[in-house]
Amino acid sequence: MKLQFRRFQTRIIVLFLGLFTVVQVSAFISVYVAQLASARGQINAALEVGAGVFNRLVMERNNRLIEAARLLSGDFAFKSAYAVRERETVMSALQNNQARIGADLMMLVSLDGTVAADTTRAQTIGKPFEFPELIRAAEKNQFGEASVIVFIEGRAYQMVVVPLLVPQPDAWICTGFLLDDKFAGELEKLTLSQVSLLRESNSGWQMVASTLPPALRSQTTAALAENTMREQTSMSLRVGDTDYVSLISPLDKTQERRVVALLQRSLDEALNPVMQLLWVLAALSVTGLAVSFAFGILIARSVTRPVRLLVESAHKIEQGEYSHHADVHQRDEIGDLATAFNSMARGLEEKDRVRDLLGKVVSPEIARQLLSKKIELGGEELTATILFSDVRNFTALCENRSPIEILALVNAYLTKISTVIDAHGGVVDKYMGDAVMALFGVPVPHDNDPVRAVNTALGMRSALTELNVELAGRGMPQLGIGIGINTGIVVAGNMGSPTRLNYTVIGDGVNLASRLEALTKRYNVGIIVSETTMAAVPGMVFRELDKVRVKGKNVPVTIHEPVGRAGTLAVDTAEELKQYHAAVKFYRERELARARAEILSLLKARPGCRLYEIYLGYIDHFSSVGMKDDWDGSFVLYDK
Amino acid sequence: MTKKTPLILWWRILAGCCLCHGVAASAADISAIIMDAEGKPVNDAVVMAFPAKAGAAAAKAGKVIIDQIDKEFVPRVMPIRAGTAVHFPNKDNTRHQVYSFSPAKKFELPLYAGKPASPVVFDKPGVVILGCNIHDWMLGYIYVADTPYFGKTDAEGKTTIGNLPPGDYTVKVWHPRMIDTEESTAWRVSAAVAMEAVWTLKLKPEFRIRRAPN
Repeated sequence: MKLQFRRFQTRIIVLFLGLFTVVQVSAFISVYVAQLASARGQINAALEVGAGVFNRLVMERNNRLIEAARLLSGDFAFKSAYAVRERETVMSALQNNQARIGADLMMLVSLDGTVAADTTRAQTIGKPFEFPELIRAAEKNQFGEASVIVFIEGRAYQMVVVPLLVPQPDAWICTGFLLDDKFAGELEKLTLSQVSLLRESNSGWQMVASTLPPALRSQTTAALAENTMREQTSMSLRVGDTDYVSLISPLDKTQERRVVALLQRSLDEALNPVMQLLWVLAALSVTGLAVSFAFGILIARSVTRPVRLLVESAHKIEQGEYSHHADVHQRDEIGDLATAFNSMARGLEEKDRVRDLLGKVVSPEIARQLLSKKIELGGEELTATILFSDVRNFTALCENRSPIEILALVNAYLTKISTVIDAHGGVVDKYMGDAVMALFGVPVPHDNDPVRAVNTALGMRSALTELNVELAGRGMPQLGIGIGINTGIVVAGNMGSPTRLNYTVIGDGVNLASRLEALTKRYNVGIIVSETTMAAVPGMVFRELDKVRVKGKNVPVTIHEPVGRAGTLAVDTAEELKQYHAAVKFYRERELARARAEILSLLKARPGCRLYEIYLGYIDHFSSVGMKDDWDGSFVLYDK
Repeated sequence: MTKKTPLILWWRILAGCCLCHGVAASAADISAIIMDAEGKPVNDAVVMAFPAKAGAAAAKAGKVIIDQIDKEFVPRVMPIRAGTAVHFPNKDNTRHQVYSFSPAKKFELPLYAGKPASPVVFDKPGVVILGCNIHDWMLGYIYVADTPYFGKTDAEGKTTIGNLPPGDYTVKVWHPRMIDTEESTAWRVSAAVAMEAVWTLKLKPEFRIRRAPN
């Protein structure tokens, strides 16, 4: 499972607490480990010192015991008593001496190894001495002295032996000192450790004397049985539920079976101050954790609260509420961000207002074009289709009407027209009174801009029909329009001055479209397109109107009127068109008589048709004036 | 226990020698050499010749002196014939209290300086171990022999019992630290000519007794 903290606040808190916990826990562990090691080290050192003291004490004690026994062996009174060779006297003298030096038992062993006297056990007298190793050890010593630990009736004795000198050695005086709990207690006072005396037996360790409470003694021997302990090397021994750092020190090396002293110090007791320190540390950690938690929340809040406010504001701005301001008052980076955000919102608000206005003043496409690019003067050459439209006899219409009425009429008309232009992907370049200039191919080119323009023109005508029905209903005058369309190279771009400019198109192509619109009155047709536009609109049937030479241009332009889609024309309309085109052909080939005959025929079918009358006029003119040899069949248009 | 083996390693008759030295035919010398188990000569060993015919020897109880010099008995080992009176003159500037708990002669000379008034007569054969009550390390031995023929080995472990009247003798050796009994050293010999014998003794180690600094 992957943990994810989606909220910044949670992340900060987790980070804070995590860091704090890691630091605290590692500090805690290192302190604990160091203290534990230190406590162990101290105990070990103390135990080793204790063992040294212990060994020294045992040695000193032995020496003292030997000295006491030696004094006794040199005591002339005792020698005299011994010389009497009277059992009771000797025994009495022994008991006297035992009391003198505070020993626990005394024995006199003759040189042949039989017990001559025993102050505690009468039954041993006359029998072989139980501890011949003691005598052997004494014999090996240059002064005839020895000290070993012996066990009598389950009790341990430090037994020292010295020769009885009368004046040469004549018997062995054995003096025993009990190694009991009292003895262990004395050693405890000096070594500050628990002291136990142990003897190794077949069934493990046997505790002879100890300062430990009785309950712990068997547990200690059991623990010893489970662990192999090297002498003079401390190790931890678990007795009951307490850890003791323990050290064993040999007491008597002459024995076949080990007799050792076990020194122990409770690790728990030694760790007591450490534990207190650790509790304080733990309390500090918990407090620190709580404080970190609070601080984490505080810091996280100081970041997340304004961020949340900013997010809300951003959402509002996304929904168009630019006037919304994020209410953050902080003097930090977040505050800076909020200030910048609010400035941005104000900027957006302003820009939106500009865009809104721009969209109304210019067409949305141009507005977009203007907003998307850096606005600068200059343009680029593009192929575009330009459409001009104008209301016929607008001036006459205006007469006897209030300006408000006229404005309402114009607005109604322009709204209708503009809708059609927009619908076909055209762009309204500008309104000039009742006139409209529309662009196809700039600023956004399509692959069929001339088709769109022609379709727009046809659409405008239909729209006008609808508008006229409406106007008629309101008692308003009927409107007629003329439309000129041309496709050609234009320059598109921002024109004007650096402070006041206009996205528009200029060039001959634009002028020609305007001329063509003007020509509609002359030919009394609704729409005139140039030859370049016609060539780009397949599937449409056109009527060739004329070949005109526009002012300032040497090359004549053929102009056409869209009639309808191919295949949709009525048969007689198609026939008429065919006959007309034949007449124009005759005319161009200077066969004026044939042309005249055709035109007259057409006029007869459609009397008063302006186009036919124009051609009849041309023919009559040339018939009377005669044709120049270089006539190219065009009509020169001088006026606008 | 090991089987008791004769302690005499070897002996030989030195007849020629006697003649050479022109010693009277009526008397003979016994030369003894005492060595320990390691072959080192044993000092202060007492060698005694007991005539087979008791009472043959003339009583010749003389006066013997055991000095106390520098808190030691000098000599340390003194063989005497039973019935000899021994003087214990003290030549130190401290007093001594010489005693013995030995069954052969129990006695005690209470603290004294100089020469005690009367000597101590040792009339019972046996070993008398001498001690000083106030100087533990002072240790001396008087061997009270039941025969007039005896000698004490020197530093080379040698001694000679001279002028033995002809006859059969039992020769024995004693030493303060010997492990074996005197009887085991017994050597029966007919003293007609000069003889030489070697004994090897097993000795106990000697315990040292702490001596106070002078």
